[in-house]
Amino acid sequence: MQTTRRQVLVAGSALAVAGGGPALAQGPVPAPQRGGTLTVQLTSEQRVLNPAIQASTGVYVMASKIVEPLVDLDAQGEPVGVLAERWDGSADGLTHTFHLRRGVNWHDGKPFVARDVQFSAMECWKKILNYGTTLYQFLEAVETPDEHTAVFRFSKPMPQGLLLRALPDLGHVIPAHVYAGTDIRTNPANTAPIGTGPFVFKQYERGQYLIAERNPNYWRGNGQPYLDRIVWRFISDRAAASAALESGQVQFSPYSGLALSDISRLSKDARYTVSTRGNEGNTAHTVMEMNLRRAELAKVEVRRALCHALDLGFFIENFLYGYAKLGTGPIPSSSAPFYVPRAAPYPFDRAKAERMLDDAGYKRPSRGAMRFAQPLKLLPAPWGEYTVNFATFIQQSLREIGVRVEIEARDAPGFLTGVYRDHNFDLTTGWHQYRNDPAVSTTVWFRTGSPVGAPWTNQYGYDNPAMDRAIDVAATELNAMKRKADYQEFVKLAVDDVPVHCAVEHAFISVYAKRLMGSHNTPRWSSSSWHDAWLAPA
Amino acid sequence: MSPAVRAFLRSPAGLLGVALMLLVLFAALSADWFFPRDPLSLAGRPLQWPGQNPRLLLGTDNLGRDIAGFICHGARVSLLIGLVATVVAVGLGTLIGAIAGFYGGWVDDALMRVTEAFQTVPNFILLLVLVAVFGSELEVITIAIGVVGWTAPCRLVRAEFMSLRTREYVLAARGLGVRDAGLIFREILPNALPPVIVYASVVMAVAILMESALAFLGLSDPNIASWGNMIGAGRSVLRTEWYVSAIPGVAILVTVLAFSLVGQGLNDALNPRLQAV
Repeated sequence: MQTTRRQVLVAGSALAVAGGGPALAQGPVPAPQRGGTLTVQLTSEQRVLNPAIQASTGVYVMASKIVEPLVDLDAQGEPVGVLAERWDGSADGLTHTFHLRRGVNWHDGKPFVARDVQFSAMECWKKILNYGTTLYQFLEAVETPDEHTAVFRFSKPMPQGLLLRALPDLGHVIPAHVYAGTDIRTNPANTAPIGTGPFVFKQYERGQYLIAERNPNYWRGNGQPYLDRIVWRFISDRAAASAALESGQVQFSPYSGLALSDISRLSKDARYTVSTRGNEGNTAHTVMEMNLRRAELAKVEVRRALCHALDLGFFIENFLYGYAKLGTGPIPSSSAPFYVPRAAPYPFDRAKAERMLDDAGYKRPSRGAMRFAQPLKLLPAPWGEYTVNFATFIQQSLREIGVRVEIEARDAPGFLTGVYRDHNFDLTTGWHQYRNDPAVSTTVWFRTGSPVGAPWTNQYGYDNPAMDRAIDVAATELNAMKRKADYQEFVKLAVDDVPVHCAVEHAFISVYAKRLMGSHNTPRWSSSSWHDAWLAPA
Repeated sequence: MSPAVRAFLRSPAGLLGVALMLLVLFAALSADWFFPRDPLSLAGRPLQWPGQNPRLLLGTDNLGRDIAGFICHGARVSLLIGLVATVVAVGLGTLIGAIAGFYGGWVDDALMRVTEAFQTVPNFILLLVLVAVFGSELEVITIAIGVVGWTAPCRLVRAEFMSLRTREYVLAARGLGVRDAGLIFREILPNALPPVIVYASVVMAVAILMESALAFLGLSDPNIASWGNMIGAGRSVLRTEWYVSAIPGVAILVTVLAFSLVGQGLNDALNPRLQAV
């Protein structure tokens, strides 16, 4: 790893602008150094580098260095302008005006203008982007009174807080002059993106690597970005990934990309930082989903009994190396604006679980015999150790209360069609990600009306009109305090009806060499633009 | 005692093989006795080293399962798969090989083209395809392993039949009016079998390895205690708790070695040329 140029910048003020945040507040502040190549390991690739049509951390971790959103979150988790400088909203929540940053150019030299925002919002976010199609369904038009103003007009009230918290994920702007008049889904720029970000797309070799290089004309100036180049390497074998990190070929493994045993081992190695910091905005739940089409699981007492049978404390401690905590409901504890502390709803109590099943009419035919005539079919989500090991743990735990579970392992496409299109499962594990506001990608797991086959939505036949009402009321409530209260109703229903058991809450784990500085200083850092990241000499 | 049995008992390799095989058989038969719990159940805290807990002789894997119990119950699965897959492969191979070798001509041509079609696809790839299409239940996997392994015994039997079908005793039987089926199964097959029996032990060893390889890739039946399943699960903790993969690995090694040694012993005993020396 050679440092070609080193440019020592004046510390202090430059860093404050760069948003060093609390990470650098401890001890003397080192001055950022220019140059160097940051190599990042990724477990898989999605073959789409356009975050305006595909919302996924797997897209952001690469593309958000090249393509920027209107708004991101700062160190405190508050919205901060990126391509939007400032914003204001009308009292009725129907109009939101974004004043765009001036003097920003696309990587191909053309100026960034309001028309780009209009095109991205109306053609991509509203029509194609997953989660965006729900969030922006009442977006009527984006008006552009001048080149640097975009006015969003909604037909139903849109809370400003919701919009601003959604935009970091669902608000990436792509160039209209590249996409207009083409088929957006097949535009070649989807794998060779043109953006306004601190890094310029260089080369993408499927299955091997993606390279982006420093944008010398980046609008933030001040010597940013500091890195010369970023290389993302796709290393799917987790043992090889940790070896690459330890040999210094890779400096950063985001999103829990290593085996938990290796993460635990590296956490004791002084050369690496192992932490969930900088990933608070990407909190996820490992869940157990129950298909209500199965007669036994249609009874809420049975669903609750199954939840009581899981000793989740044991699971977290021994299967997840302690890198998680008990889930309390669909809104995770990391979501300060919406979370109200509550206890884990289904504490481990095997005797109670057995009693509940007895009372529901599913007694064991004889001692030690199984309660249901047919075993429950469990499809483990193939998203790594959390969901696969959780499936085994469910199988082991439910057997103890007389419920036999048969696991049917499938690859990712087979799993998605089996669960979300064919509904051919009784139980499944899953990994549900929370994105700053419940209305972005959380309530969709509980509301009816998702098209059949849409992954990560309510596909287990759960249908409660009270739930639909609670979700709709909260989504259009403009008063922030009242909105928070509305969501407690949503949480209560979700926990009581428990079609999805939000069993375990965890942030993603980042493992990175201590040389990587200016990093993990915002709540969704791995998905942010890395404009202020830099590498200390090896 | 027949000379073949005596010859087998003189072969040290064969004796060692039988001893190891009995060991595996004992583990399989005594599994319910010593380890009455479901081998997939949670036996204790995951990743306890062997010897750390007197109740768990070989420790626990990363899913908290008792490794000792898993190994014993896994012996049943491996033996079952090995046995059934071998019966399928050798049965199918013998039948097709016998017909092709006995009749020759266009029958032979047709059957051999089919055999070659199977042989051109690598066995394991074909197995992956079969499992992907028909699912990963134990029965499917066992039969699939048998189906991908029938070509080698088939070729072997065909070659034996081609050399035996013109021998005097076959011609004599034919002259006495014995029908084709009688010639194939009563006259030629018993004399063609020795090399097939030797080869069957290899097929059995390969079948066990194939199931393990499938399980290692996470494609075997996850609801059974199979050694390969445990190796696959243990891969993620290989750098720190290597014993999780190593112990079932040794079990596979011992079993496969046992069958190979028995095969060698049988070869020593049944090969007339070696006997003469």
